[in-house]
Amino acid sequence: MSEALLSVRDLRISFATEGGVVQAVDGVSFELAPGEVLAIVGESGSGKSVTAQTIMGLTRSPNASIAGSVRFHDRELIDAGEAELREVRGAEIAMIFQDPMTSLNPVYRVGDQIVEAIRAHRSGVGKDGARERAIRLLDSVGIPDPRKRIDDYPHEFSGGMRQRAMIAMALALEPEVLIADEPTTALDVTIQAQILDLLRRLNRERGLATILITHDFGVVAEMADRVLVMHEGRIIERGDLDEVFYATKDPYTRGLLGAVVRLDQAPPRRPARREGSLLEVTDLVKHFPVKRGLLIDREVDRVRAVDGVSFSVAQGETLGLVGESGSGKSTLSRAVLQLLRPDSGSVRFEGREIAGLSRRQMRPLRPAMQMIFQDPYASLNPRKRVGQIVGEPLRIQDLASGGALRTQVQELLARVGLSPEHYDRYPHEFSGGQRQRIGIARALALRPKLIVADEPVSALDVSIRAQILDLLAELQDDFGLAYVFVAHDIGVVRHVSDRIAVMHKGKIVEQGPADQVCERPADPYTKTLLAAVPVPDPREARARRANSAV
Amino acid sequence: MGRFVVRRLAGMVAVLFAVSVLVFLIFNVIPNADPARQMAGRSASPQLVASITKEWGFDDPLPQQYLTMMGNIFSGDVISYETEENVDERIVEGIPATFSLCIGAAVIWMFFGILFGYLSAVKAGGLLDRALTVVAVTGISIPVFWLAAIFLNYLTYKIALFPSGGYVGLSENPIEWANHLILPWVTLAIVYVGFYSRVLRSNMLDAMDEDYVRTARAKGLPERQVMTRHVLRNSLVPIVTLFGLDFGALLGGAILVEGVFNLNGIGQYAYESLINLDLPPIMAITLFGAFFVVLFNALVDIAYAYLDPRVKLGTSAP
Repeated sequence: MSEALLSVRDLRISFATEGGVVQAVDGVSFELAPGEVLAIVGESGSGKSVTAQTIMGLTRSPNASIAGSVRFHDRELIDAGEAELREVRGAEIAMIFQDPMTSLNPVYRVGDQIVEAIRAHRSGVGKDGARERAIRLLDSVGIPDPRKRIDDYPHEFSGGMRQRAMIAMALALEPEVLIADEPTTALDVTIQAQILDLLRRLNRERGLATILITHDFGVVAEMADRVLVMHEGRIIERGDLDEVFYATKDPYTRGLLGAVVRLDQAPPRRPARREGSLLEVTDLVKHFPVKRGLLIDREVDRVRAVDGVSFSVAQGETLGLVGESGSGKSTLSRAVLQLLRPDSGSVRFEGREIAGLSRRQMRPLRPAMQMIFQDPYASLNPRKRVGQIVGEPLRIQDLASGGALRTQVQELLARVGLSPEHYDRYPHEFSGGQRQRIGIARALALRPKLIVADEPVSALDVSIRAQILDLLAELQDDFGLAYVFVAHDIGVVRHVSDRIAVMHKGKIVEQGPADQVCERPADPYTKTLLAAVPVPDPREARARRANSAV
Repeated sequence: MGRFVVRRLAGMVAVLFAVSVLVFLIFNVIPNADPARQMAGRSASPQLVASITKEWGFDDPLPQQYLTMMGNIFSGDVISYETEENVDERIVEGIPATFSLCIGAAVIWMFFGILFGYLSAVKAGGLLDRALTVVAVTGISIPVFWLAAIFLNYLTYKIALFPSGGYVGLSENPIEWANHLILPWVTLAIVYVGFYSRVLRSNMLDAMDEDYVRTARAKGLPERQVMTRHVLRNSLVPIVTLFGLDFGALLGGAILVEGVFNLNGIGQYAYESLINLDLPPIMAITLFGAFFVVLFNALVDIAYAYLDPRVKLGTSAP
């Protein structure tokens, strides 16, 4: 290895919190060579982001205690003064973050935010010069019509363009090192593919050394030269890309790699159990009007969120509904459950038409159809105890009370892998995976026949994700549940679904048996979607890149 | 923008109408508020009361009385039942005092509110923050009339640093104008300084955790620029809303402060009219105050669209 550009030695970071001292990073050492891509992989709480931010001194606070060494060329950054750190930040080491929407200041124009970065370091560059440079930068990261778009505000950019603008800002001063902290996690998979392409190009063309922080082994396989795996603040595995994937040493890494759901491998299939139709959706339409007018609003346009969708779900079956953000999949699932009133079309549940029923008419039908939500943090009321949350559906439907209610709820908790003692705890005392179990217990309380799960595992780490998917499959067998499994991750959807429907711009562009849709897609959009998914297999990824380059 | 203005004007008319009808109806259900009896005096004969009733139209149906009164208010012919002066003229006379008081106090409270809030947030948890917290909470808790009384007692009677009250026009004598207004300004501003600095402090502390602040630091901006350009700027939006509402409401009369310092402004006139249950000025002042509340609400929305480009004027109903 040539001489290291950046070398981190025995980095230890702890934070004083109300619950005691948390050791976030515990003796981490690594080096970054010029021009290489180093991936740091780990689940949430592994300390990977804290490590990356500490390199730039972004974790300094009265509550943090930081020890060890971070050397950049021959400068020590760990105890550098603010002024010295400022010279490095942005100019020599730049950083991009997970969510480009919140990482750009919403009240300033995109161009002004880039200009600000340039002028913070080059006081000699005038406003006009900096602006010209910003335009060239935006152009180089693939923003169309940069001379005009430079004056847009961040909310006028799409998610992918925002991340491009963040990258342009990071490149503004031609840094030697780019730290990319989950740069594509908040993006759709087709956009992710474009951003990864861009990062790869910058690495190749400019020799930009990159530290890539990610939880996604697919992204690692596509991007990295070397890999560090972090767990509980330590590096537990390190090596070249192929070593880590094919000659895995640490059991935790092996477990992580094993838990990754692979799109290109068919999961073991249970015999399909189509025992008669449970849900029949025909020509469902839900448009949102866009209204304008002087005194009285008139409809001037409409967003065709769901535009003539038909599908059916049999008892005990899982239908996967895949689509990128804005495809209408969440609107569709809410319109099916009559949480949103559809404009037209038919929804038959057990042969009965439910489209357009009033709330009161829907109420006796509700127990049979339940929902699980994406965000296990936001979907549980933080001021209620777990017992109240899970027991609420039973109480509302007058199915149990008093001691019987408590017993039933405790049985449910046990059924989803929690302990009956959890009855009196509050949601914040649980981890993300456990919270999703609470959400599942709540959905199960009324013995539903259909559960609509809206991105139920998207917010969870891979190892937890696998556990929740297993739980859902088990419950399906035990209770004969049918699932509509809504997700953006076609790999996960293939893993759990009997059949898949692909949504794009409010329509289902393709549906069929899961393996068929994934292996022999007919629709061009499905093909694009499948091609964009990173494969967690370095050899496969190289082969695909070689193919697409031809 | 045109759409916004049209909608706001329509909204303003509706609000003013509703407010005036309400005040009018409330007045008419208050016992012992028969204006004819008041005007006739304490030991008036029934004949006199009857003739006043007839002459002033107090026996007309209520909608008729309402329309007459509104017509008079807007044509400038409305007469007080109590003093028989022209109400609109009295209000116009009170405007300089009230506006001088409010604008001066607003400048003071915005300056110190933002300064204290900023310092508190930047030094959160430190000694300065704690000291400013004490100052702010004290400011919020002190009753205005008590503070005014203390000021008057110590700064005008014990040591004659300031005049004891009254209003001098700005064009008459600018120095005396300011000299007469310093105590009222400070008295009125103190509550708001406390309140605004607390709101700004908590907004800024929230904003400091935002991702774009981390981005600003990662760009290598100096800490002060991070604080002013990114944290403070984004935290000012709610302050502007508060300011619009508070300032608009005050222009209709700062009753307590005007009363204690005898400024003879609109607030003091409102107070006198309320004591006397004198409907015409009450109606006129209420409309005057409501007009500014609605006006500043609209101005706040315009300021909002300027401060936060994600907000588009006229996309939500007034």
